[in-house]
Amino acid sequence: MVSITTKQLPDGKPNFVEESLYEVHKKVHPRAVSGTFASWRWALVWITQLVYYGLCWLPWNGRQAVLFNLVERKFYIFGLVFWPQDVIFLSVLLIISAYSLFLFTAVGGRLWCGYACPQTVYTEIFTWIEQKIEGERNARIKLDAAPMSARKLWLRSAKYASWALLALWTGFTFVGYFTPIKSLWDSVWSFSLGPWETFWMFFYGAFTYLFAGHLREQVCKHMCPYARFQGVMFDPDTLTITYDTERGEPRGARRKGLDPRSIAKGECVDCGICVQVCPTGIDIRDGLQYECIGCAACIDACDQVMEKMDYPKGLIRYSTEHAIEAHWGWKEILGHVVRPRVMVYSAILGAICVAFVWGIANKASLRVDVIRDRATLAREVEGGLVENIYRLHVINVSETPHRYAISVTGLAGIDLIGDRIVEVPAAAARTLTVQVRVPPESGRKGSNQIFFDVKSLADEKVAVHEKASFLQP
Amino acid sequence: MLRILWVLWPSFVVAGIAEGIFFTVVDPQELYLFGHPVEFSKIATYSIGFFGFWAVCAASSMMTCLLQISAREVNKGIGAHGGTEGLS
Repeated sequence: MVSITTKQLPDGKPNFVEESLYEVHKKVHPRAVSGTFASWRWALVWITQLVYYGLCWLPWNGRQAVLFNLVERKFYIFGLVFWPQDVIFLSVLLIISAYSLFLFTAVGGRLWCGYACPQTVYTEIFTWIEQKIEGERNARIKLDAAPMSARKLWLRSAKYASWALLALWTGFTFVGYFTPIKSLWDSVWSFSLGPWETFWMFFYGAFTYLFAGHLREQVCKHMCPYARFQGVMFDPDTLTITYDTERGEPRGARRKGLDPRSIAKGECVDCGICVQVCPTGIDIRDGLQYECIGCAACIDACDQVMEKMDYPKGLIRYSTEHAIEAHWGWKEILGHVVRPRVMVYSAILGAICVAFVWGIANKASLRVDVIRDRATLAREVEGGLVENIYRLHVINVSETPHRYAISVTGLAGIDLIGDRIVEVPAAAARTLTVQVRVPPESGRKGSNQIFFDVKSLADEKVAVHEKASFLQP
Repeated sequence: MLRILWVLWPSFVVAGIAEGIFFTVVDPQELYLFGHPVEFSKIATYSIGFFGFWAVCAASSMMTCLLQISAREVNKGIGAHGGTEGLS
């Protein structure tokens, strides 16, 4: 993905610039970092990836616990089964995610980007692999610059192969959320994988490889829409990664243990480590920039340097614009968390969450659609009765099979011909045709309202009272 | 290069959203292709649908990109070569 292009410099000499897939840029070789926030990031990597790679293997009631079965058009999430009719829940879930993002951003800045975004998480994993195989930052820079040799070829192949394996596994897992993963696994080994499953596996895998291995910070800088509008959610009380300019400047190198005031300098020793660890390659000392994904790597790095210098930690720290201006401590910062913007986001989010949980808890376990037969409007049958034909679509949304009794009311002498009992397996639907007969003197000419009652024989509460119209000629 | 990704990436995202909404509402088996019911497997229909959406969205992005070229750039002929120099 990396090509070399030449660019004319003003003096006419060609200048070799590395051009990656996206733009002319300097390749970022982030230096490994350890510390409090690095541990948090790794904790999130483990949690999110254990869930992602593991959840699809979890069984539940003899099926996959979480499966978005596209062929059956049913989404299984543990005990819940969602049908296309339940799309409202998906929409509400998306709204909840959006509001959570707004709330977290208003309070803690780009917490999502820094810790939980798949782009960050996979980049973290891929960088770790790179570091294990090619060595630390300096070794990698050297290797990049070195001409091709047997060693370089071996290291590069090992790195790319490891990335590819992980990416392929990620792609396989992705498809395993849409096609039962156990049968998918079996078909991999019996070489009977469907063409589209194979395609999506490689498609998703290839994009994981490209995004986490090669594009990395460029995805955040050039492709992520959130990075562009996250600033709207920020206010002067939002926690961001901040360099304390007042304390740090004027920066400069010095011997250890020297009091910065005695040499008329700030506490920044200008070691540049904060820049080296930055996955997006920016200098946080230039102030808050949209490229900063809030990963806090520079905080960990700077704290270690401050410790070595015997200076207090926190030259780069989580702080707010107001806090830096007014020299607030944590108590004042936390005191400003509750503010109108945060309260509004929280109130809306809380209300939607309550509605969502209530909706899920009260989700109907039986659904009935009544469709009047389009071919015949009404006809006279034996005994002078008038007959209308309906198609009942009975959907058992629950996880247990049910037998339902069907009855019809609404007109004098109304009766039902055909199945009065219908058995529907768990999470399945059945369509049946029923004839409804009414004496000709019943009701008025034209459309009359009638009701279908579908009741579970096992549980009276599982019942649907559905309106329909009966046509009297 | 940047321009190609400006076209392909947003259209990919929007195609994903469109795909989700469309196939939530419409069962692939209810679709007709030139008057005949669609006979592909559901996965195939979903996949083809996605690429269809992507193509349509990409066409829209492409047009946006084309119209974004300023008069000065059109006169200089930069747009015609698809170059990005001078744009950033």
